Amino acid sequence: MLTALNKDLKPFEELITSFSKGELKPHVEEHDRFPFGTLDVNLIEDAFRKIFDLGFLGIMLPEKFSGIGQGISAMCMMLGHVAEVDASYSLIILTSSLSQQIILNAGAEEIAEKIYPSANGAREYLIAFPSFTDPGQATILPQASSGRNSYTITGKLDYLVLGNFSNWAVLPARTAGSKGYSFFLVNLNDQGVTKSDPIFSLGLHACPIVDIALDNVSAQIIGEEGQGQKYFEMTSRIMHVTTAAINAGIMRGSLKEAIEYTKEREQGGKAVINWSEVRMLLANMAIKSKAAELCVTQTCKAIDENLKDWGWISIASTLHVHDLACDVVTDGVQLLGGYGYMKDYGQEKRYRDARQVQALLGSVPLKKLALINEHVA
Amino acid sequence: MLKRSEVKSLISRFPRFEDNTLSMYYGPRMPKAMIKETEEVVALARKFKEEVVRPLYLDLDRKTHEDLDYIPEEVVKKANELGLYTMWIPKMFGGKGYNMPSLSFFNEEVGSVCLGFANLIGVHYLGMAAVMMLGNTRIMKKILGDVVAGEKTGNPCLISYAITEPTAGTDVEEVDLEARGRLVCHARKVDGGYILNGSKVFISNGHLSTWHTVYAYGDLKRGADTKVALMVRTGMKGFSFGRHENKMGQRACPASVLIFEDCFVPDELVVLNPDLLKSFTKQSPRDINMRHIDYVFSLSRAGVGSFGIGAARGAFEIALKYANETEIDGKPMVDYEWVQCRLAEMYANVRLGRLAYMESNLANQHRGAYNLLQMKPIYYYSKYLPEMYFKMFVTPLLNSRMANWLMSKWYLDWQKPEDQNLTTGLASMAKFSCTDFGVRNCQMALELMGRAGLRHDSGAEKVLRDAKLLQIYEGTNQLNRINLFKSLISPQASPRAAFFEE
Ligand SMILES: Cc1cc2nc3c(=O)[nH]c(=O)nc-3n(C[C@H](O)[C@H](O)[C@H](O)COP(=O)(O)OP(=O)(O)OC[C@H]3O[C@@H](n4cnc5c(N)ncnc54)[C@H](O)[C@@H]3O)c2cc1C
Repeated sequence: MLTALNKDLKPFEELITSFSKGELKPHVEEHDRFPFGTLDVNLIEDAFRKIFDLGFLGIMLPEKFSGIGQGISAMCMMLGHVAEVDASYSLIILTSSLSQQIILNAGAEEIAEKIYPSANGAREYLIAFPSFTDPGQATILPQASSGRNSYTITGKLDYLVLGNFSNWAVLPARTAGSKGYSFFLVNLNDQGVTKSDPIFSLGLHACPIVDIALDNVSAQIIGEEGQGQKYFEMTSRIMHVTTAAINAGIMRGSLKEAIEYTKEREQGGKAVINWSEVRMLLANMAIKSKAAELCVTQTCKAIDENLKDWGWISIASTLHVHDLACDVVTDGVQLLGGYGYMKDYGQEKRYRDARQVQALLGSVPLKKLALINEHVA
Repeated sequence: MLKRSEVKSLISRFPRFEDNTLSMYYGPRMPKAMIKETEEVVALARKFKEEVVRPLYLDLDRKTHEDLDYIPEEVVKKANELGLYTMWIPKMFGGKGYNMPSLSFFNEEVGSVCLGFANLIGVHYLGMAAVMMLGNTRIMKKILGDVVAGEKTGNPCLISYAITEPTAGTDVEEVDLEARGRLVCHARKVDGGYILNGSKVFISNGHLSTWHTVYAYGDLKRGADTKVALMVRTGMKGFSFGRHENKMGQRACPASVLIFEDCFVPDELVVLNPDLLKSFTKQSPRDINMRHIDYVFSLSRAGVGSFGIGAARGAFEIALKYANETEIDGKPMVDYEWVQCRLAEMYANVRLGRLAYMESNLANQHRGAYNLLQMKPIYYYSKYLPEMYFKMFVTPLLNSRMANWLMSKWYLDWQKPEDQNLTTGLASMAKFSCTDFGVRNCQMALELMGRAGLRHDSGAEKVLRDAKLLQIYEGTNQLNRINLFKSLISPQASPRAAFFEE
């Protein structure tokens, strides 16, 4: 749908769909298996080299940092198509973009300069980020102390996405001098970093998430001290809709599989799709799925056109899409009956993944409150 | 003000008042001792879940992810040691004879920690209900006797219920569909028994069970009219297990493929076939078939309802614990109104659902399958008479033709159609409402907890995975909605409605 609004995206779309089908699809089940989150480096490198070489990982990164300087629409289009096949990869891409956005919004050009143009492979390029956390809501954050021209960080940070894969992480920490928290760039290979085993989570299993502990780890500040909240809000404001795009992609996949299956499966002597209640469920799924796509498209448009209210349009439509998605994936399992509950089909994974996506960038009720706070402010 | 006859006529209009307020009518008729007994069951369930289930369930779930072939035999052994597989077997068959409705509360308690665990126990009673509702006392005595013996020897003897086929799931739960479905389990009559061919899929506890209540068909094209119910024992020639499924949740409880290749089942293990029906009823095999299905599901769907409320409660308890232990902006989470309101809603879902499955139990007690055992005199006799008495006088009778005839008559022939409608309709209502509540509460818990709920160690993500199955088995929630309309609404209020769109 996004490409209908923006014709320039068409070539990207073709590349992304053929990449998802060709490179990701054959491995979906295998990557969903226990132990979770042990990324197969070779595969990741292979798969990602392609999109990496095409510059897709830097889709929103300005050209001066070797990105391709596209906007939110291209990002959403890409995440959606990838999610239709395996949303774990959308999380990987999103996480790296969140780090990029924090760095850019903080105006930390020297960091972008240091990492992106010369990155050699996915481990260097994909920067870990606690994508499920709104650091402003966290009760405890690591503590940074400043030396003469650098900082060291000590403390624990949980649920760091890509934490056991990437060389670098963008992390929030508190400093003695400021009320607000700050963001730092940390080398995850530093001796002072301890990583847990990959965490057994509900969904998005191909993307590793770990808890880390830091002990006097040297860190480089991103932007100004105490300004973390500001950078996070600038980032999340625009990036919320990308999480909606992921769930819209999951919904598309769910609807598609439900239609294919119910056409084939027979009960009571006819294709299940011909029972009127099955049609009604499919209709509800289709309505929700289409509505979700509209939300994403229109939000992207609002952002591109810099509409006055785009910030809260973005979060409102995103929360709505997540709501719809959780319904759709539940019915998506239902329509396959017992088979929908089995790992041989894609529906149970979508049922898990959509809920995991819903929790990106903070918990639902707190995102809701943030929305209304912004609206009434 | 009104004449009694007028009152009677007005309250029998749709919605018939008595049928809609069972607790008011039947609550007072409950034997007092049954309440005490139920309290004991709940206490026992709480002890079991804290001492056995909670310390184990997350590791067990992890283990099933690590090793896809893992089957929790030691858990079943433990439950067997604790006597959980004979608790609800009637005394006349050598069991402990706890009242059947109390099983729901047990399911809810254990299910509130782990639905997989609860199913390891609950599904066995589904198998038992299926045997009992076929009315053959000789076979009941044999199978349930094996379960009791298995408890004594320490070799668990479980019963599974095997009706779903690779191409027929919804179809085997409703005769109008069964008549048109693609069935595969064929029973060919031969001298001295049947030759069974075909397969069953998704059979809970399959790999763990000794006995399997299997439906097969004399004529696959006329399944609804030619059903044969047989007992198959693990190890019988021609019977083997296929794979056990890789499921999203409830992983402690395996779902198995059963394969029959020229498996000979002797006549003494044939519970019911169209010929046997003739000995006690003039009704058509199809009607009796539906009645039997309705009877079994009236019990088991109330049971699944209680699993659903287990899930709803589990999710609520996890969310509550989180809210109690977490702060937002320096204030305890539970101090926020919006948190209190979400938790209140989850709590209400639990209680509303419990009312639904209790109502279904009441229907079964007074108008359905439990009515025999729950009549006050029979209840008290069987509760207080010494075991010896059962052994000496009752048990031997079970092999007699008279007992067989009486039981079959009672369960399959004499039941009134309106009672059949009430029990099956309320069971369907409990089934889909409670399981929808279950999934809804899981969703609410996850939303409330954010990333904390996504972690396996929180338990929240597991209950979400577990709960989804409840909307699918024992009839999908779609079939159960249709069944409610068919049995509670249509007879009185929409008599011209047709079912299963020709
Ligand atoms: C883990 C697990 C354990 C199980 N345990 C057991 C067990 O112990 N014993 C046993 O016998 N079975 C068991 N089952 C099977 C279960 O009862 C069936 O999966 C269920 O009845 C649905 O059948 P199906 O899977 O064939 O779905 P289908 O019947 O193929 O249904 C597919 C979809 O079509 C819809 N549909 C089908 N027909 C109609 C219709 N006429 N009108 C409207 N909608 C319709 C359904 O609602 C569903 O959404 C188990 C299943 C699972 C997954």
